[in-house]
Amino acid sequence: MIELLGWVPLFPFLGFLILILAGERLSKPLIAWVGVGSVAASALLAALIGAEFLNGTMQPYRLVLGVWMEVDDLSIPFGFYLDALTVTMLFVVTGVGFLIHVYAAGFMDDDPGYARFFAYINLFVSAMLVLVLADNLVLLYLGWEGVGLGSYLLIGFWYEDPNNGYAARKAFVMTRVGDTALLVGLFLLFTQLHTFDIQLLMLRATSQWTSGSLLPVAAAALLLGGALGKSAQLPLQSWLPDAMAGPTPVSALIHAATMVTAGVYLIARTHALFIMAPSVQFAVAGIGATTLLMAGCSALVQTDIKRILAYSTISQIGYMFLALGVGAWSSAIFHLLTHAFFKALLFLAAGAVIFCFHHEHNIFKMGGLRKAMPLAFWSFMIGSAALSALPFTSGFYSKHEILLAVFDASPGLWAAGCLGAIITGIYSFRLIFVVFFGRKCPVTKARVGWQMSVPLILLGALALLGGTLKIPLDSVFPVLFNHDHTFDLVSVVTALAPFVGLLIAVLFYLTHTFSAQRLAGSGLANQMRIFCFNGWGIDALYGALVVRPFKSIAKLNKNDAVDGIYVAIALLSRVGCSRVSASQTGRIRWYASSVALGAVVIIAIGWLS
Amino acid sequence: MNSNQLIALAPIITIAVTAVAVMLGIAVRRNFILSCGIAAVGIVIALSTLGIASRESAVRATLLILVDAYSLFYMALLLSGGLAVLGFCYDYFKEREGENEELPLLLLTALLGGLVLVGSSHFASFFIGLEILSISLFVLIGYPLNQSRPLEAAIKYLVLSGVSSAFLLMGMALIYSQCGELHFSGIGGYMTSRDNISAMVLSGTLLIMVGLGFKLSLVPFHLWTPDVYEGAPAPVTAFIATVSKGAVFALLLRYFITTYSYDYTPLLTVFSVIAGLSILGGNLLALLQTNVKRLLAYSSIAHMGYLLVAFIAGGRISSMWVVESVSFYLLAYFITTIGAFGVVSVLSTPQTEADDISCYRGLFWRRPWLAATFTLMLLSLAGIPLTAGFIGKFYIFTSAADGRLWGLLLAVIVGSGLGLYYYLRIIVVMSMNVDGAAIKPPQDWVSTAILAVLTMLLVWFGIYPGLLVNVIQSVSYAME
Repeated sequence: MIELLGWVPLFPFLGFLILILAGERLSKPLIAWVGVGSVAASALLAALIGAEFLNGTMQPYRLVLGVWMEVDDLSIPFGFYLDALTVTMLFVVTGVGFLIHVYAAGFMDDDPGYARFFAYINLFVSAMLVLVLADNLVLLYLGWEGVGLGSYLLIGFWYEDPNNGYAARKAFVMTRVGDTALLVGLFLLFTQLHTFDIQLLMLRATSQWTSGSLLPVAAAALLLGGALGKSAQLPLQSWLPDAMAGPTPVSALIHAATMVTAGVYLIARTHALFIMAPSVQFAVAGIGATTLLMAGCSALVQTDIKRILAYSTISQIGYMFLALGVGAWSSAIFHLLTHAFFKALLFLAAGAVIFCFHHEHNIFKMGGLRKAMPLAFWSFMIGSAALSALPFTSGFYSKHEILLAVFDASPGLWAAGCLGAIITGIYSFRLIFVVFFGRKCPVTKARVGWQMSVPLILLGALALLGGTLKIPLDSVFPVLFNHDHTFDLVSVVTALAPFVGLLIAVLFYLTHTFSAQRLAGSGLANQMRIFCFNGWGIDALYGALVVRPFKSIAKLNKNDAVDGIYVAIALLSRVGCSRVSASQTGRIRWYASSVALGAVVIIAIGWLS
Repeated sequence: MNSNQLIALAPIITIAVTAVAVMLGIAVRRNFILSCGIAAVGIVIALSTLGIASRESAVRATLLILVDAYSLFYMALLLSGGLAVLGFCYDYFKEREGENEELPLLLLTALLGGLVLVGSSHFASFFIGLEILSISLFVLIGYPLNQSRPLEAAIKYLVLSGVSSAFLLMGMALIYSQCGELHFSGIGGYMTSRDNISAMVLSGTLLIMVGLGFKLSLVPFHLWTPDVYEGAPAPVTAFIATVSKGAVFALLLRYFITTYSYDYTPLLTVFSVIAGLSILGGNLLALLQTNVKRLLAYSSIAHMGYLLVAFIAGGRISSMWVVESVSFYLLAYFITTIGAFGVVSVLSTPQTEADDISCYRGLFWRRPWLAATFTLMLLSLAGIPLTAGFIGKFYIFTSAADGRLWGLLLAVIVGSGLGLYYYLRIIVVMSMNVDGAAIKPPQDWVSTAILAVLTMLLVWFGIYPGLLVNVIQSVSYAME
């Protein structure tokens, strides 16, 4: 079964080809069958391969399908590499991806671009699978750019609205900044170590470079740049909230469960390099901690249901970076896994709410949905519980593990993580109390089809119980020796932090003991609220630092000085054309005499030279 | 004359016999299909006799004709070109009024002239071949007698061709007066025995150049080209543009190599001036042209200029290289030009000649395959990769760079840039959308098949030129 690994990314790609070439001519059910079926086949195959792998010796497996390019001493194969990390990622991408596809079949039912949607999202899944399977950095980069393209196409899926196109371009350009760093990092690694093969690169890096010297630090920093862009971490995070312009299944799949975690995967995959560069690894932790706090604060004050979840995603990926930074590699991947479950669940439940409210996003225009939409309500309850890491949900296991590991590395970062956990509790339950409790709002259509409800139920089960799905990653990562924190103070404080957040949310939004309006009403607090609401002014900062200077430079050269040369050439050619055309008189007398004249001239030239 | 010589002459004899057969056929029964059929069979037989002849080494068949790998290659090229043109002629003339049966006959005699020309190694066969070709062309151009345009073109070509032949004969006379030789190798012997070329021989060679330059439509002897191309029926134009020019160029190259004329720099200087002027003049003239036949005429002027660049560079590199590059370029030019005029001929109706650019508006919507073929032909003329034209252009660039002809290289680059403009313009016009349903195209199966073959060859030689290059290289050894 494991030899069929190549089919895992190929199925969705075939689906993409069929839908993009013939999609407009197929009937709707057939489109859904192709679009969902391709991912289903891929998920089934991945499950079988994963089971075979996990029940076997867990030795890494390599599959080379052919040579991609071969020039001189550079040889890049279409090579796939399967180890426990890849298997985890395969489960996330195909499993969660499949559920979201089923959901999308219902969610997008009345959209005229049904075929286009499934074509794009199949392309995305295929590229994401190439990314996680690639055994060399160039193939990984192909997947990396492929998911970027898929993300761009799907954010701008409803392209009639120029704002969506703007959001798509913003996401593409901002991630390109990171991608460029990654590309430069690739070049650096190849020129120094003469291979693109990831395992060989790690081997050569550890044997040829000394820890902490310039080369590993530079290479790790450049890879980190790529990871920051893709995973929406400081300072390249501001594209993700805007990316919510895409359809909700897209937000669930690309901007929560899979693509945005690609940065985490990249760092985990090249962890040997990061170990060689302790300063960069510490920066990863610092960036993670800062991002999780900043994004958490922003999530506190948002009013758009999807933007709350977007900021929460940034914040949760911050936790993963924090874990990577302190060397808790497998905890980071574990959190990636559980986060994929509960965040996809939250997004899909939010999608159901939005669906029933006719694309209303403002949570303060909703309310009292607990009875009207019990499925969405319970989905949100489970999702939020897991998100804020209440005990015995999946998120608890992973986040708890991360925070304990962080405490051993740096108590300061641990405190930041715990503060983040409190904030997470507040904004998660603020959302629930506002939307599902309180004043009742009329709902136009409260029923969702089975395509949408079944994935919610399955993801709910995963979010609740996914903590037991721990995949043994010890064969991939160096083992971290934890202190035993089983029932000491640190462990208890870490576990209690979300409850503090929950309590605050209850007081403010359920019982209204304190009023959030009054708190935010005064001058300074209100300004802080607006500051957080706008994502800490990152956009304004880039506007002032990059966009405006660039525009003014462009304005300086409005008439394109270089173009003048080409205009002159064109003008000259036209003049030349009209001059020589005058010789074509059509008169035979002139033609005959020109032959004689030409003869005289060439004989003269011949004699004179 | 022994059997070897007979075999070597077999293609020429076959074409001559076929011409007689067509004539007799007309005497028995006037039937256009029959005439075309006999002519086609004759050309195919001639092509197959080439295969037999190619087993022999170089054969001097009489004093006048030399049959070696070089002439066999060009004979094959001319015969294939002639066959393709015959196919287009069939579709073009089958619906037209008048007695069209003599057309294949004239095509055969023109082809005969071309075959003699590429095999000739003597001034006599040179002149006879050229005149057989030219005289057949006068009639071919003016074949639709009741129309004024072809008639005008025919008379222009007749008069001007006469003028140029006069220059040619004068040049031969001047050379003979000094060397006392009419045979190419005799002249070569005379040339190598002197350190310095005499003014008479130089003038004579330049006067021959006037005559050939006229046939090749090189600047400043090019003025007739657009008028004749426009007036002649489209398939005949294809014949003038390819078979006639190809034969003359092959002869020019043979003459230059056999007589060691490369050793005289004044000649090359004159050639460089002519090449540069042809490239720039041809492209500039084509730039704003809206008549497709005239546009292709101007572009053929430029292409002959490019070819001349490779020819001149040969003097600095080796004669083998020049044969290789010129032969490849000519072959690509044959495929492309016959294909392009073939499309014009397919689109022409008995009422109108499809030469105005407005006839091509929206062709992609009306006849997508035809438009795609024409697009490929134009891209090949422009020298875009994946077409044979690109490989040909590549040879020109390499030759110019290896021969260190920087001025001419610059001209080629500028010319290619200008060329792209007017070739792409036709493609743009073809892709413009027009209202109105697709009309059912007439059933031109022969032309369609030929266009399909030409397109396949174009792409094949553009992507895998290796096979063809091997053949051409073996030909170029013959000229060592």
